[in-house]
Amino acid sequence: MRRLGPGMKKSKTGHSPEKAAATGALFKVGDQVRVRDMPYMFYTRSQMYTRGVAGTIAALTYKDLIPEEEAFNFDGRIEQYYIVRFRQKDLWPGYPFDNDTLQTECPHRWLEPAKN
Amino acid sequence: MPSKDLREQLDLIRSIQPAIHVPQNWNYENPGPMYKAYMHPPHDVGGQFDVPVYYEEKEEEDWELNTYVTCEVLGWRGAWTAEERRRRADNDLGYTLYLGMPYYARWIWAAAKMLVDKKHISLAELQEKIAEVRSRYEKK
Repeated sequence: MRRLGPGMKKSKTGHSPEKAAATGALFKVGDQVRVRDMPYMFYTRSQMYTRGVAGTIAALTYKDLIPEEEAFNFDGRIEQYYIVRFRQKDLWPGYPFDNDTLQTECPHRWLEPAKN
Repeated sequence: MPSKDLREQLDLIRSIQPAIHVPQNWNYENPGPMYKAYMHPPHDVGGQFDVPVYYEEKEEEDWELNTYVTCEVLGWRGAWTAEERRRRADNDLGYTLYLGMPYYARWIWAAAKMLVDKKHISLAELQEKIAEVRSRYEKK
């Protein structure tokens, strides 16, 4: 875990990496997940075209700061990142090929379990 | 005061005004006058031509008064000055948000951004709180 650097401080509202680490169990490879429809003002790296779309966990990549906090030099929570695999047909209306997929990366907070 | 019919006619006239739309995507260069136009602070609208606009006498709503008080208290507690509030809410928003949002929405937007920029709250906290409050209202 990264240390607090100069000019970086924790939120004054009691938000801490320790608390954040308890944010739900990790997903496993093969789990069905849906990208959450979260507010996205000011900054995010979660792509709009995946919002609300269900996909499959293809890999657990690494744990790191989340973009929404690192972008403000805020030493916040460390979260698991995943590669999520979507069917192109689920992403684009009228997409013609059944077997094509697209993979992109999401931190844990942007995903929720998808009901099959 | 213009009649309702005249207002509607003016609105109709305004709605058919042509809009100049030039597709732009990180242009390689901008001619001098265009560069100066981009640098112009959005809130400095004096002297610009516009079509006739109907000005309503509108009372403040609760959320607007609450926004005003919140922003003043943030100033009182030293989080920002009135000039910083103006800089963030009038200048930093850019034309699209400045012209598109209600007056006090610009204030509360600027206050939230200031609190995130100064690390009083984290952006993730703010986004999740908004999501939580939104889901609470949706359940009602």
